[in-house]
Amino acid sequence: METTKKSEAKELGALLLDVGVSLLSSGASCSRIRITMRRFAAAYDYQAHVSIAPKSISLTLNDEADTPLFNGMLSTPAQGVNFKTISGISRLSWDTVENGLSIQEVKDELQKLLNLPHYPRLVILLFVSLAGSAFCFSFGGKPIELLITFGATFCGLFTRQEAVKKKFNPYICVFFGSLVASLFAGAFIKAGLNINFEHAFATSVLFLIPGVPLINSFTDLIDGNILNGLVRGINALMFAMAIAFGLLLAMLIYNLK
Amino acid sequence: MDLILVLSKAFWCGWGAIGFGILFNVPPRTLFALWIGGAIGGFLKFTLLQLTVGVVFASFVGATAVGMLSIPIAHFRHVPPMIFAIPAVIPMIPGVFAYRTMLGLIKLTGAIGPDYTTIMSDTVNNGVKTLFIIMSLALGVSVPMHVMRQESAKNIRLKIK
Repeated sequence: METTKKSEAKELGALLLDVGVSLLSSGASCSRIRITMRRFAAAYDYQAHVSIAPKSISLTLNDEADTPLFNGMLSTPAQGVNFKTISGISRLSWDTVENGLSIQEVKDELQKLLNLPHYPRLVILLFVSLAGSAFCFSFGGKPIELLITFGATFCGLFTRQEAVKKKFNPYICVFFGSLVASLFAGAFIKAGLNINFEHAFATSVLFLIPGVPLINSFTDLIDGNILNGLVRGINALMFAMAIAFGLLLAMLIYNLK
Repeated sequence: MDLILVLSKAFWCGWGAIGFGILFNVPPRTLFALWIGGAIGGFLKFTLLQLTVGVVFASFVGATAVGMLSIPIAHFRHVPPMIFAIPAVIPMIPGVFAYRTMLGLIKLTGAIGPDYTTIMSDTVNNGVKTLFIIMSLALGVSVPMHVMRQESAKNIRLKIK
């Protein structure tokens, strides 16, 4: 009896750490990670105590009498943003609570979730470029500036994706993206086209803005996860600096003031 | 008030939200809702701006509307509210202010000339605007959850018949 309970706790603990780490590396806020892990644990009558560090999660599982049965820690792989994973895990957790899935079933479902495909690359490129043009429009851009932003975003995002594939440092990936996008936009200004300098430059790098870390940073701060909030905020700031350096280098190359 | 301009800006804000939704790999079933959310947030923000309300408060109102919307959407589309709310408020991120701040900071590293104080006050102004807009976006998105005092949108019962 005692040993089956222990082995169950061990299995569940490993699964919960997988869940938490997948959430952390897909851009979930700390309270969401904690709530989801506790929800899973409660479905199997355990109590989960979770500590979330910037790049790892530790977990203690207690039984109903608060006796610790499992201790573990797992560090995250590279962090990105993948909302499909977050929404899939949220659904899975409710499914577990309501329909009483076994640990093995949850494990299989989680594996399936993590292997779900992204959108096709061309779709991502086109729609993000469209979003870039949309921003340019909302800042008051003219049609020609919209087209330039579209092209700049397309090239910049393509470069960033290639850099990510080649496993460059994430900040350097953003730097490359920003540099290429602003080189593209700057070429038209250098060619003597009569366009608004600010619209073309500022909106062509907007796709790199670290929106998820920024918003998660404040969400964490409001929820009292001050340390995680600060880490995420500084991370977002580093991305913003990388964008600025790319932009500045392009302006230096073109000798624009 | 230039209604056509506001409406077309709102329309494009919706596309901005979809673009970022795709970049963040949201489930396809939320894309249409994202367009609506982005457009409504953008509509409120730009309408208020036309009425000469400050940009920080206008962004806060837009983000709060998105946050409110995110709860019914979470029910109907079976996704956590933030999946909908984050891409929908991204079109309201103050890119131009952030850009001016960065540029201003770099200019401040140069020699002190006659226009140094002007650059400094411009930079501080833009920087503070950027910071407060981002704070109001994050706050607006999470306001509904904090007002309802629930940890999960699933516990918030909707009265829709």
